[in-house]
Formats: sequence, structure tokens, C-alpha cells
Amino acid sequence: MTITTTFVRRGIAAALMSSVAFAASAQDVTITVWAGGSGEESNYRTEAIVMAADIMEREAAIRGDELNITIDAQLWSGWEDFKQAFSLASEAGNAPQIVVTGHEDIGTWSNAGLIVPIEDYVYFDSWPLNSIYPNLIDVATYNGQIWGVPQDAEARVFYWSIPALKAIGWTDAEIDSLPQRVQDGEFTLYDMLDVAAAMQDAGIVGPEMGFAPRVSNGPDYLQYYQAFGGEMLDAETGKLLLDTQALTDWYQFFADATEMEVVSETYLGTEWDVWHQNVAAGNYGTWHGGTWHYAQWENGFGLEDFFGTVQYTLFPAGNANGRANSITHPLVYLVGSGATEDEAMIAAELIATASEPRINALHAVKSAHLGISEVESTVPLYAENRWLTAASERLAPHANAIPNDPDFGIVWDAMFEGLEASWTGVMSVEDAVAEAEATVTQALGDNVVVR
Amino acid sequence: MSLSADLSGTKGAVHAHRPTGTAMAQDRGRPRVSRLGLILVAPALFLLSCFFLAPVVLTGVFAFTNMSTSTGIGAGEYVISPNLLDDLADAGLSEEVVTAISAETYEITPDGIEAARAGGVSADFLRDIEGLLLGDGFDTARGIETALRGLPSAPRSPRSLKLTAEFFGHSVLNQRFDSAQELTEALSLAVPDVDAGIRSEIVGASYTGAIYTTENFTYLATQPSTMRLVANTVIYVGATLSIFNVGLGLFLAITLFYMPKRVSSFYSTLWLLPRITPLVLYTIMWKWFTWEDGFLPLLAEQLGLPAFNYMKGSVITAWMTMISVNGFVGASFGLILFSGAIRAIPTQQLWASEVDGATRWQQIRRIILPQMRWPILFVVSYQTLSLLSSYESIWLTTNGGPGKTTTVWALEAFKTALSSYTGNLEYGLGAAMALVLVVVGLALSIIYLMAFKFGELVGRPRIEF
Amino acid sequence: MMTRNFSTIPFIIVITLISMPLMVMYGFLILDTFTDAPAGELWPDRFTLKHWRFLYDFSEVGNVWVATFNSLTLAVSMAVIVLSVSSTAAYAISRLHLPFRRFFLAGILVMHAFPAVTLLIGTFFVLNFSGLYNTMIGVILVKASLLLPFGIWIMKGFYDTVPWEIEMAGVQDGASRFTVWRRLILPQVKPGLVALGVFAFLDGWGEYLLPSILAPGSDMQVLSIFLNDLIAAERVGYDFNLFKSVGVFYTLPVVVLFVIFQNRLMNIFGGGTKG
Repeated sequence: MTITTTFVRRGIAAALMSSVAFAASAQDVTITVWAGGSGEESNYRTEAIVMAADIMEREAAIRGDELNITIDAQLWSGWEDFKQAFSLASEAGNAPQIVVTGHEDIGTWSNAGLIVPIEDYVYFDSWPLNSIYPNLIDVATYNGQIWGVPQDAEARVFYWSIPALKAIGWTDAEIDSLPQRVQDGEFTLYDMLDVAAAMQDAGIVGPEMGFAPRVSNGPDYLQYYQAFGGEMLDAETGKLLLDTQALTDWYQFFADATEMEVVSETYLGTEWDVWHQNVAAGNYGTWHGGTWHYAQWENGFGLEDFFGTVQYTLFPAGNANGRANSITHPLVYLVGSGATEDEAMIAAELIATASEPRINALHAVKSAHLGISEVESTVPLYAENRWLTAASERLAPHANAIPNDPDFGIVWDAMFEGLEASWTGVMSVEDAVAEAEATVTQALGDNVVVR
Repeated sequence: MSLSADLSGTKGAVHAHRPTGTAMAQDRGRPRVSRLGLILVAPALFLLSCFFLAPVVLTGVFAFTNMSTSTGIGAGEYVISPNLLDDLADAGLSEEVVTAISAETYEITPDGIEAARAGGVSADFLRDIEGLLLGDGFDTARGIETALRGLPSAPRSPRSLKLTAEFFGHSVLNQRFDSAQELTEALSLAVPDVDAGIRSEIVGASYTGAIYTTENFTYLATQPSTMRLVANTVIYVGATLSIFNVGLGLFLAITLFYMPKRVSSFYSTLWLLPRITPLVLYTIMWKWFTWEDGFLPLLAEQLGLPAFNYMKGSVITAWMTMISVNGFVGASFGLILFSGAIRAIPTQQLWASEVDGATRWQQIRRIILPQMRWPILFVVSYQTLSLLSSYESIWLTTNGGPGKTTTVWALEAFKTALSSYTGNLEYGLGAAMALVLVVVGLALSIIYLMAFKFGELVGRPRIEF
Repeated sequence: MMTRNFSTIPFIIVITLISMPLMVMYGFLILDTFTDAPAGELWPDRFTLKHWRFLYDFSEVGNVWVATFNSLTLAVSMAVIVLSVSSTAAYAISRLHLPFRRFFLAGILVMHAFPAVTLLIGTFFVLNFSGLYNTMIGVILVKASLLLPFGIWIMKGFYDTVPWEIEMAGVQDGASRFTVWRRLILPQVKPGLVALGVFAFLDGWGEYLLPSILAPGSDMQVLSIFLNDLIAAERVGYDFNLFKSVGVFYTLPVVVLFVIFQNRLMNIFGGGTKG
């Protein structure tokens, strides 16, 4: 088969030439890094790149090249602003070369050509990328290409107040066996509601303080969907799936929870700050959040003796259809398509270097996220952290991720809007489910399976 | 102030509003278009066309597309991805074609080496390839890459290596092409056996960019949530206008009219503060006022009333907060206009009524209020427009919550197009929602121009000192 | 104004009650910046200046002076552009023979009340096309253009009140129309220029939305974004007193301008576009 030059992908020649130039002479490069959803305790998402730049410069010097890398880092505390800014900046061609975001953006951003597949720039079979958990690599894969390098992992946790459980008569043995009972599906979300109501009735926690879910939209809420038997992808066709039965049960669960007055109808939108304070002060009976919240409670809100006062389990099953579960939402390092060939190569190499276990462990431990590789868990800093070790054992093996399908956002939005509507009482559970179904089928047509 | 005066109902006193007589004469004497005038207007025309009219037109165009983050803004590319092949297979594309397209075959041929040389691959590396791999075939990209990596002069950069490999293969899978023609050519090289009709169908389906569609409007028309948004918007605009901009504005204007000068100037200044305070600070003050541990909840707690985050904690209080946040700014607009109109009422009229023994209430009802008809109409029509399109202060306070209970049309349009937690910004749908506002706004402004006799406004000075 | 003696006291009480939220908000805004209150209490019990540390200690909130400079750039440029463009265009519309004059004026009036903030995607497209996305110049041009219809309309009002005779006298003395405008007419509309300039400055100074979307880069952060970032979601530990101190710092120039130009601004606010 003859290959004509017209067939050659654009920019190849330039790339090959520039790589030659790269090896030969002095070079000054500025790499911009943006990290979304990152508070102060997550600063190693960008700091790791700074450290990697230092290492890369030293390596270049030893090779006899002169390489100066300037890192321009920006942490975005929220997601909406960050995603908007990245999308618009990419369209304008001045997006950052490296971006740290949730893996579910890969679908949308790769379709639009906002990012380039990182597998073109680094070898996943050499150190340190070959040490990363294969299931995390899968999460960074879309359309048969690896687009990013996993930056962290996590699990979502159901937390229980040990003092409150004791106060309603639970024995130590019962509390200790809770994680196993939850995992086996014996102890369900409805059992949890009873416990929360009992805590309130006994006056141990205040009214509507028995059960404190996440205060805003997030993957946490998809755990309810799974707990009631919903799956996000249809196993047969690989298409997105909307399980109306699971949706109904999930919405009904919140209707029941507000009926029992363990959580208020207008709970959604509570300030994070208030939620954290209440958690740290032991004001809630049960609540759920992420593994990383642990770091915020200990460092920012003065929670003491976590292990003595808080029991933690998987997210309980909702009914016999569902299962106890946990959703992991790994962030990934991606390379923006606005980067020149040189910049992209350096950016990708920086990302690979930043994924060294020892460097990544700094982020994992500081922000209480789970590590990205087996070997990272042997890094002393990580290994001696009781919470990460415990969470890795009890929760991580059961965690799954949300799909990278670019249309999943539509399904997710519709599901959450239905939840908001039925939870706040604007709509009945049936209407909310019907509306979510209508929105999804209207927007996606044949690309979604409704069951 | 004449803006208020000309609306105050003394319409009869208003004479024909044209440029003054001399100016008319001048114009008539010099019917030629003033070149200086054109030069003087040019910068304004330029800026308005670029940053005002162009966005309006673009919004109109985008409203009829499915543009989103996923399609990108502007022209798309042509990509055949595994997912696309899956979808096409579902739609009936034969398995043979799918397999043919997804095949990755690489062969080290002299032609390939020549092409690579022309493409800039280093001579050393090509010598290695020619010497060690000539004639070899590979059926995966990974296979040829591994082989290339093993060569002594292989480049250090994975990118260069992978690009070199592409000179020896012909997969179109996951390659991005700028035009349909480029992909068609590539496809005809890669799978020459596939029927040209099918190939062009595949090329058509592989477009990643936005396409024209009226679906946004069908979607809006059929969604039940649309009605809720409309209802929320109507309640929001209606309540803010009637309670604050008109009701409170009028009350303040009339009350302050009767107050001693010092009192009235203190209160007018106080009520102007929200208007000049930067919005971000103003909303933060409301947060402090209504949030847990803020002023109102602490006060309520001391009084034994329910204390919670009033801004977000219940639907009723969220609505009250949202309307107040906007209303406290809006009230000053009414206050200024109405005060002006009241001051324009001839004092003799008020004196006379007092001599006749009218009470203050009678005076207000019989003399002042009837004069307020035009100013009220003006405030209502003008502020309806600005309230319809204002979402910044809602966004920064209740953010449309709890749930979506305080979400109005403009806020939803903004969020749809530009602020999404799940990341896929739907520019097209957002533009469609904005276009609805534009149409409503245009219709209202035309009615408003007619109601206030455009001819008079055009020629008339609005403000004097 | 009225002669008959009647009690204004009940009305003062009512109006004070209605104004209470404002008095409380603004009263505590000032008070809280130099005092501290015990947790969960309203009334402060001690004097402190620590909330003002942000002026020189950048470790907690970042460099406020950079943001101030950016805000100043935005506000001043806006004032300059709006003033120069609307004072020329309005003069032409008011006094010179132009084709489609009425149509242009009607357009200005409609645009004046237009829901322009909903057109951001279109605006982005224009900025992107012209390479002005994520630049301060882009934000300034967009923001100034949005204010132009208002500015032209207001300035036209001022020109209309200038007696035609002044202009005639100048023309008869042999000066060009341009010279007449610059030497004779502009001084006549100075009050309008001042009011519009201050108004435009305040508008630019308070703007949040446009810079946050059209220039999200960290090196162009303006004060409004600086302030709002302090209270952004998921940020740990709110310190309202710190926000308020930054807020008061942010608002001081506004208050100063307002006090100086209060009467002139009062007139122009009646035509303002803020909800």
C-alpha cells in the first residue's frame, strides 16, 4: 500500500523538526496548569508539576541540554467556572497546556478536540506510568485512546456517628460489624433512615439532623441510583442507561426521608462550610461524603479522634435490586490541544514525572485522596496514614467510576434536576421521573436505553 | 428633571419636538449629509456593530444549532472514532466495513521510507528502519511502535516515534481531518473496496461540529420545566416591580416629599447606596444578613423564632430574599423618577388643595397619584425589561435554589450556556433561550416606544441641570 | 414646603423600619471591619485592625493592589471610551444632518433597554474572532459598548439644551463645525460629561460578570472577582469581617465619587440600567 504525503497528518513534519531542535539547544518554555475543584489542601495537583519541572530541568542539564521550564499554576476552587473558562479558552486557543479535571470531561473535550491523547506523547509501558492501576487507566481511556494520566482516586463513604449509635443502644459489636452488614446488603438505606429517626427521637441529634447527604450535586447522588439497582451503562449495547425503576425508588427514598423529617426539603444548597462544621462538631447522626473530606475536617474544622467517633462504610444498598457501592471520581491530567508540539511533549513528560509515587503521595496524603498505584501505598508517608490505608482496604475495591460518554452529563443533569424537584416537593416522584425520562429521551433519542 | 417631567402627564404642555427651528432651517439649507457627522458617529457605530449587534445576530444564528462544548464553537472536524463505528454498526453498517475501517495495518516499504524522509524523519533512524525492518508487517500500532523503539537511533520522544510509524500505516481511525474532502481521500486510500456511497455517509456522520437544527425550540416548547421557568420569571418580575420598584418607590417618594429636607436627603442617599455599591459586595452583605450566624437568624434565635439560612433554607424565604435583593436596588429607580415627577407638580395646585381643607391623604390621592400615571407606566415598562434579563444578583445569592425553585429564565439561559457542573455547556440551547428574551425584549421596547411617543423622545432633551 | 403643621413622626418611623435592612447592612459593614464579635454574637466587644491586614499582608487573600490596579484600568478606560465616543456621536445626532438619523436613534433607545447580558456566547465569538478573548481590552470594549446607547442618549439630551445661537455665532466667525464643537459646545455640556464619566467609571468598577467570563486569567483579576473568590463555594472557614473589610476598601472610591457628584448622578441614575 502506497502512502502519499497528503495522507500524512498535518503538523507531522513540524513536530519531527521541532523534536530535533528540542534535543539540541537551549529552550525556555512556559507551561500553564489549571486544576479544577481544588481547594488549598489540593495544591499538590499543581505543585507536583512544579516539582516535576525541577526534575526535568536537572535531567536535561545532565543530558547536556539547557531547559528552563516556568510553571504558571492556577487552582480553581469550583467546577463551573473552571470548566467554562477551559472550554472558552480552548476555543480561543489560549487554554492551559496542562489541565486537571474529572475524568468524565474526557468524552466531551476529546470530541471537540480540546485535548490531545496523552498516549501519543508518553509510553504507558515505562516507569512511572506502568505502575498505575489498570482500572484507573481505563477511566482515562475513551474511544480506544488514553487521553490522560490519573491524578488521584478516591472513594465515597457513608459516615456514622459512633456516639449517636451508642446512645440509641447499639453495642460495640454491632457498630464494628456495620461495615460488613452494609457490604453484604443486609443493612439498607431504609435501615439507615430508621437509625437517623431514632437518633432524633432520642434527642441525640437535632431535628432534621439525623441524615446529612452531600449538599450539592456530585457523583455521590449517583450512588443512590446504583443503590436502587440503576446502572449508568447498558451492559449489552454499551449505551447510556436510564433505569426508571431505580430512579423512582431513589426519588421516593428522599420523599420518605423528608416525610420522616430526618432531612429537610430544602437541604440542598446548604453551605459547605456549615456542613463541615456540623460534621466536625458531631451534630449529624449519619452523613456521606468523600474520603478526602477527612483532611478538611481534621485540618480545617478541628475534628479530633475521627476513628473513635466515626464509623465508615460503603454506601448502603437501597433495596434488593441494588447493591452497596461507592463511586470513585478520579481526576486526570490532560494536555490541551492549544499546546504546540514542543509544549505538549514537555507537558506530557511533566505529567509522567509528577505521577512518581513519592510525588503523588504528597497530594494523596495532604488531601486524603487515594493513591494511583500499588507501589504508592508503600511510600512511607502514605503507608503510615491510617485513614488512607483503611479506606483503601474497605472501600476502594468496591468503587466504580462514572462513564466517559460525553452525553452522560445530560443524563446526570436530568436525574439530578428530577431529584431536586421531587425532594423540594415541587413535583411528585412520578412526575419527576417522567420529566427526567422525557428530557433524556428528547435530548439523546436512540443513544440512550430507557428501562 | 425633565425625564420625569415629560412623563408626568402634563403632556399638553409639550410642544412639537424636533430639532429647534434654526436647526431645521439649517438642515434644509444644507441637505447634504454632513461628513463630519459621519466621522463623529463612526466610532460609536463601529463599537455597537461589533460588540452589540454582532452578538445579537450570532445569538440568533447559534439558537438554531446544537452547538455545545462537545461540538465546539465554529467549524468542526471529521473524525472516525470507534464509538462512531459502533453507532453506525447499530444503524446498519455492515461488519465487514467496520472491520476494514478499524484495521490497523503497518508495513515497512521503500515508499513509506521515502515519504518519511520527505516528512523530516532523521536519516539515521530511517537507515535503521531500512536495514532492520524493511518488509516487516504489523497489525497494531503498538506492534510497530515497539519495533521502532528497539532501534538504536530511535528518537527519545514518543511523539516523534509514533508519527514516524504513521508513514508506514494507513489507519484513519481517530485521526482528525479539517475537511470532508481530506477524510474522503484518506478513506478511499484506506478502504478502497468499500462502496463510495457508504464512504460518503460515514464521512457525513463523522462531523464533530455543530449542525443547524430547530430542536432547541421544540425542546423548549415541550419541556414542562419551561412553564415553571416562565412562571418563576413572571412572579419574580411582577413581585419585584409591584412591591419595590413601584410600590415602595412611590411610597418613599411621597413620604420623603413631605419630610423635612434633612430627613429626606438622608433617606434618599441611603436608598441610593445599593445602586452604587458594587454588586459582589452588595450580595455578600445579603449573605451576611440572611445566612446562618448572620444578622437575621441570630436575631430570630434570640426572639425564639425559627432561625436558619433564609437565603437558601426554605422556598418562601428564598423567594423573599431574592426579590428583596433586587428590589432594594430597584426601589431607588422609582424613588428618583417619582420624586422628580412630584416636584414637577405646580406648587399652587397643592397650596390650593390645602386651602380647601384637603387632608394629606386626599391630597395624595386626588392630586399626586393621578400625576403618577406616566411615571409608573415608564418604570414598569422600562424595569420589566431590565428585570427580565437580570440574573447576576440571583446567581450570586440564591443561585436559583433551593432546588430550582427560584431559577428564572435568564439565569437558566446563562447556566445552560455557560455554567454547568457536569461540563457540557449547551451554547445552542442557551442561545435559543436568550433569543426568546431578545424577542420579548424587542417587542416590549417597540410597545414602549409607541406608548411614550417616540417622536417626542427623539427630539427632546431628557436631562437638564 | 408645606405650611400646615402635621406630624411627620409616624411616617419617619415607618420609613425607618422599611429602611432597617439597609441601615443594618451598611452599619455593620463599617462596624465589622474594625471590630470582632464573640462567635454567634452580633455586637462586637473589641476593637481590632487585623481585618485590614490584607492591605499589606498578601499571604491570606493574595495581592489586593494588583486587583485594584486592574479594576482602575477597567473603570478609567471605560469612562474614557464611553465619554469620547458618546460625546462625538451624540453631537452628530443632535446637530448634524445624518442619514437614517431617526432609525439610529430608535435603535439606540431599543438597545438601551436590551437584555445584552444574555448574549455572552455571541460576545465571546466576536472576542475570539478578534483575538481579544481573555484580554482586558476585550472586556473594556464590550463593557463600554454595552453602555454606549445609554451614554449617547444622555449626551444627546445635553446637546439638545445648548442654545443654537452659540453654535451659529461660532460658524459665522468662520470656525469649522469641528472647532465649534470642541471650543464652544463641549464646555456647555461639561456637567453631562462629568456625570456620564462618573457613571461609566462606577459601572466599570462594579462589574463582575464580564471579566469573570471574558477574561478569566488570573493576572487580570479585578476587585469584584478578587472579593467574590474569597467567599467562593467550598472554601473553608468564612470570615465575614475580612470580606467586609475588602468590600469597604473596594467601595471607598465609589462612596467618595458619589459624595462629590451626588446631585449630578441623581439625575443620570433615573436613566440607569441597573435593575
